Amino acid sequence: MALLEGTSLRKTYRMSRKTCVEALRGVDVSIAAGEMVAIMGPSGSGKSTLMHLLGLLHAPDTNDGPAPGLRFDGVDVTTLSDRERTRIRARSMGFVFQSFNLVPTLTAEENVALAADYAGTPRGSARSAARDALTWVGLSDRATHRPMELSGGEQQRVAIARALVNDPTLVLGDEPTGNLDSARTTEVLALLRRFNKERGQTVLLVTHDAEVGETCDRIIRMRDGVIVADERVAPATAAVGADIPRPVAAGQSGAAVPVPAA
Amino acid sequence: MRLLRELSRRKLRTTLTIVGITIGIWALVVFSSMANQINGLVSMGTEFYADKITVTDGVAFGTSPMRLTDADTIAAVDGVAAVEPKVEVFWEADPAVGFSVPDLIHGVIPGADAGHETFELELATGRLLTVEDAGNVVVLGSSLAREHSAVAGSSIEIRGQTFEVVGTLQPTLTAPDTTGYIPLATAQHMYLDDLPPLVAESLVADEVVNQIIAYPEEGADEAAVVSAIEGSVANAATMTGAEFEETVGATTLIFNAIIIGVAAISLIVGGLSVINTMAMSVAERTREIGIKRAIGGPRGRIIRELVAEAGVIGLIGGLLGLGLGAIVVVAANELGRSGGTVLFDLTPVTAAFAVGFSTILGMLAGIIPAWSAARLDPVSALRYE
Repeated sequence: MALLEGTSLRKTYRMSRKTCVEALRGVDVSIAAGEMVAIMGPSGSGKSTLMHLLGLLHAPDTNDGPAPGLRFDGVDVTTLSDRERTRIRARSMGFVFQSFNLVPTLTAEENVALAADYAGTPRGSARSAARDALTWVGLSDRATHRPMELSGGEQQRVAIARALVNDPTLVLGDEPTGNLDSARTTEVLALLRRFNKERGQTVLLVTHDAEVGETCDRIIRMRDGVIVADERVAPATAAVGADIPRPVAAGQSGAAVPVPAA
Repeated sequence: MRLLRELSRRKLRTTLTIVGITIGIWALVVFSSMANQINGLVSMGTEFYADKITVTDGVAFGTSPMRLTDADTIAAVDGVAAVEPKVEVFWEADPAVGFSVPDLIHGVIPGADAGHETFELELATGRLLTVEDAGNVVVLGSSLAREHSAVAGSSIEIRGQTFEVVGTLQPTLTAPDTTGYIPLATAQHMYLDDLPPLVAESLVADEVVNQIIAYPEEGADEAAVVSAIEGSVANAATMTGAEFEETVGATTLIFNAIIIGVAAISLIVGGLSVINTMAMSVAERTREIGIKRAIGGPRGRIIRELVAEAGVIGLIGGLLGLGLGAIVVVAANELGRSGGTVLFDLTPVTAAFAVGFSTILGMLAGIIPAWSAARLDPVSALRYE
C-alpha cells in the first residue's frame, strides 16, 4: 500500500504583485511504504516544493484546476489545519536539511530531545530517547556539545538523530548531503539506508547529487514543475549503496555503532 | 535554565531593555511612595479637621483678633455642643517664609472641647496640659520635640522666654506635630505682642483669641450650624472638615494624576523597548523558529517561549527598579528625618504592584513579536539568512 499518495499537486508562489512562480504544475506521485526514493532535477524544477507538500510543510493549491489529493498513511491530509499538520510532522515524520539546522543554543542532546518533546514524549523520557538516538548515529560522546563545537558531518548526524528519535514512518531529506564532503556523504547515506532497511522507514530525499540518487531504490526526475521520469535503480547499483560500510563513531576506535531494536 | 541562556545570547540588547524598564519602574516606585505618603498626610488631616467647625475672623483670615466673648455667642448657637477658644501664633515672632508649614503655638483651654474632639493626641512622654497649668509650660508636637531634643522635664526657649516642657506627643503626620500647646493666657500675651501697636493698644490680653473651634452636636446639620454661627458673629469665617477635604482632595488628585502619568510613560517606553528587543530577537531567530516549526513545534509553544522570555526581561527590570527605588526612598527618608520631612512611604502593595506591573508589561509586549514569529512559514523561515 502506498504510504504517500499525491494527485494533481499544484503550487504557485507569488513572488511580488506581478510575478508568480508556478513551482508545481500538477503532479501525481505515489511512494510505497519502505521505499527509499530520490527526487532529482535542476534548480527550479519543483523538487523542493514537492517535498514541502509531501512533508506537510505547505498545503497544495486548491484553485485553478482539478482538486488536489494527498493521503499520508491512509489519512486524507489535503485540507488539514496547521495544527493538525504540525502534529503529524512532529509524530510521524523526521526532517533532515541541507544546512543541518540545529538550534545553536541547545546541546546535541537537547536538540534531539526537542523533537521528542514536540511529539509528546514526557521531558525525562525525551532526554533518554535523545541519548539513545545519539548512540544510533555514533555520537553518544558528543551529547553535551553545542552545534558550534561539532563538525559538519557530526552536526548532520545529530540532525539525523533528531529526525529518527520519534521512530517516524517517513524521513524527509532536503539535500541532506549538500554541505558534506564525499566521505561524510557516504556516512550519512549509509545511516539513512540502514534505518530504511532495519526499521522499514520510508526515506524521501531531494538531491542534486547523482551518486545519492544511485543509492536509492527509485529516482523521480523533475523539470519545470512536472515529473519527467520515474525510474527504478538497478538492483545491482542499489545493492552497492546498501553495502556502504557502517560509519564509525567519531573519535572512537572503530567501535561498531549499536543497532537499535527494530 | 534554557530561557536565561536565550536572554544571555543578546547581552547588550537585553541589558539595555532591562535598564529602560528599571528606570521606568524606579520612577514608578519613587512617585508611588511619595503619593502614599501624601495620601497618608491628607487622610490624617481629614481626620484631624473632621467633625469640627473652625471659626476665625473673616477680615484677615485667621490673624485678626476675635473677642473671647464671641465664644459664648457661638456656644449659644443651636446645634453647638462645645466651643474651644484658641490663640494660634507662629512659633517665631517673625517666621521665615518657607515651603513647609511653619511651626505654631496654640494657646488652649484644656478640656474646653468637653470630650467632643475625635482626634486623639497620644503622649510620647509626660502629660497633657490641664486647667491648673499656667505660665510658661508647653506640650510639644513630635517634630518640635525632636527638633529641640526635648522630653517631659526639659526646658526650652520660646520667643526669648524659658518654658518647661511637661509633655511631648506621638507623631500624627499632621498639624499637631509642629505645634506647641501652651495655656491660653500665656498665648494671649504673645498674640498681643505680635499685633501692630495701634491695634494692640485697644485690646486687653485676657479678652482676645483668634480662633474658635465649634463642635457640632451629634446629628446636627453642619451646614445649618455653620450659617447660624456666621449669622451670630460679625465677620465670622468658617471652615469645616468637608471643606478641608475638598481643598486638599484637589491636591491629592493632582498627585494621583502624576503617578498615573509616570505609570503610563513607563508603560509606553518600557513596553516599546520590550517589543523592539523581542522583535529583533525574533528576526534573528527566524531560522531557528522555522526549524522548530518544521520538526513539529506547535505555534502555542513558540509563543509561550517568547512571551516567557519577555516576561523575564520585565521581571528583572521590575526587581531592579524596585531595588533602586527602595534605596532612594530609604535614603531620602533617612536624610529627611532629621529635618522632620519624611517624603516617602514604600508599602508592600506598591512594591508588589511595581514588580507585577513590569512583568505583565513585558509579557504583553512580548505577545506581538511572539505572535508574528508563530505565524512564520517554516519553509521561508528556513531559507532566511
